[in-house]
Parts: sequence; C-alpha cells; structure tokens
Amino acid sequence: MKQTPNAEPPTPNAELGEPRSSSFPRILWRVVAIIMGGIFIYAGAVKVIDPVEFARDIDNYKMLPWQMGVWLGLYLPWLEIFCGLALIARVLYRGGVFILTALMVFFIVITIIAKARGLDISCGCFGHASKYLSFAWHLVLDFLLLGGLVLLWKSSPPRTNAQLS
Amino acid sequence: MKALLRQSVALLALALLPAAVQALYLRDKIPWQSRVAESDLVSVEVARSWGANALWVDARPVDEFERDHIPGAVSLGQDHWSELLSQFLEKQWSPEKKIVVYCSAESCNLAEDVARRLRDESKLPNEIRILKGGWEAWLAKK
Repeated sequence: MKQTPNAEPPTPNAELGEPRSSSFPRILWRVVAIIMGGIFIYAGAVKVIDPVEFARDIDNYKMLPWQMGVWLGLYLPWLEIFCGLALIARVLYRGGVFILTALMVFFIVITIIAKARGLDISCGCFGHASKYLSFAWHLVLDFLLLGGLVLLWKSSPPRTNAQLS
Repeated sequence: MKALLRQSVALLALALLPAAVQALYLRDKIPWQSRVAESDLVSVEVARSWGANALWVDARPVDEFERDHIPGAVSLGQDHWSELLSQFLEKQWSPEKKIVVYCSAESCNLAEDVARRLRDESKLPNEIRILKGGWEAWLAKK
C-alpha cells in the first residue's frame, strides 16, 4: 500500500524497545543511558580488580556458602560491565537494562533483609569508595540507580527497525 | 519477549567467559575453601599459650571494648583507626610479638579487616592471627 504524507507513523515495536514516549527528547535518553552504563562499567571494573574483596562483601550477607560467593564475586562484575556496555553501545540494550534492573531489585531486597537481621554489611558496590557508606546512603544510591534503570526500561533504545535490519 | 530473553541470555553467557579466564588466572590466589585461610586463625588455647609473646588487639567498637575485653588487649576499632593505630604503634607494638586480633564472634568480620589493614596498609612484619570464635570463644573458655 502506498503511503501518503499524512499517514500514521509506524507503531513502536515494543520487542525491539522502540520509543513508547516521545515527550522526552531522544538525546536525553541517550545521555541517561550513557551515564547509567558508565556507572555500571565503573562499578564492575572496581570489583574486577579485587574479586576476593567482593566475594567477602557477598559473604557478609550470610546467604550463600563461601564458594558460591567466590564464583559470584568473579562473575557479577563482568556481568555489570557487559550490561553497562550494552547500554552505551545500544547492542543487547533491553537485555542489559533488564538484567541490571533485576540485579538492583535483588540487591535492594537482600540489603534490607541483611540490615533487619542486624548484619554488619558493606555493599561493596563501588569497591573501597562505598565501603564506609551508611545504610541510608546505600539505599538512596540503590534507589537512584533503580529509578534510572526504570526510566530507561520505560523509554527505549533510540533505535529504529530500519537501523536494526 | 523472546528478543528480551535472547538478549539477556547472550549477556549472561558473555560475562561467563572473562570470569572463567580470571578464575583460571587467579586460581592460586583465591581462597576457594573458606573466607579466612586456616593458617590465619588461632584457637584461644594456642593464643593463650603464647603468654607475653602475644599482643591482643580488640577490633570491636570502642564502647564494646570499654565494657569488657581480654586482659592486656588494646582497642583498635576502625571507627577511630588512625588515632588508635598511632597509639598502638607507639606504646604496645613490638616487632617480635605475635598479634592476635579478635572481634565479637565467629560471624563478625572486623577482626579480619583489622588484620588485613595491619598487614597490608601498616606493613607490620609480625605474625598476625585472627582469634577463632572471637570474644565469645574467649568467654566460653575463660
């Protein structure tokens, strides 16, 4: 069918993460995605340098056996880095936002549980830089990051079907 | 939904590769079996047998130390680290003595942190051990 100049624009493709809202300029979504991606790459990189230290932070939650904490200490920082890269490069974008959102929600829940159990925890999210952050600041930081991810989830990777094909 | 799953699985799998390489690279440096190597721990009985050759370091917060502590122990909590460390180095420390660090119980991590800081940051040449079971174990065997 021939398109006329007044034809409706193509419907956003939710599966590809097409824009659902056009009220926020696309360039700003890119900026938010780059900032969030950069934060997670940084968070992953500081933990990659010392995975044993991160394994100790995981162990402080007293939820997993030490051996499993070590494996997670090796794996999670790389996952954060790849998801951060996905946000910046717009490759596997929705997967990256989804994994990071799931990790943040999980992390917030276990932090609250650990605090309720009276455990002496340091989040270790940003290596030594976050070692002495108070519980309240942990939560503020976590909710800010979660808020950023939810915004990105609700928006989109600014990519079109044409670019993807 | 399928695309989302595919993307997520791809990212999860991608992260496995460098993690496995790093695990291989660091295999001899990672304490795979337990958080603290058995060789870094010392039991109450053995530490006691060292007598005057042991320097007891209390890693708990100052208020807990002031309530009660192992006789002769010095407070070296991380909340007043610089101040307490310089006092410790000036007054009690001696290079020949063994240092025994303890915190409240088996599950606490303060002793481990303090032992690590004394070893890595302060570069103390002493043999530094963590008291197995901490203050609770000491009380039980008093």
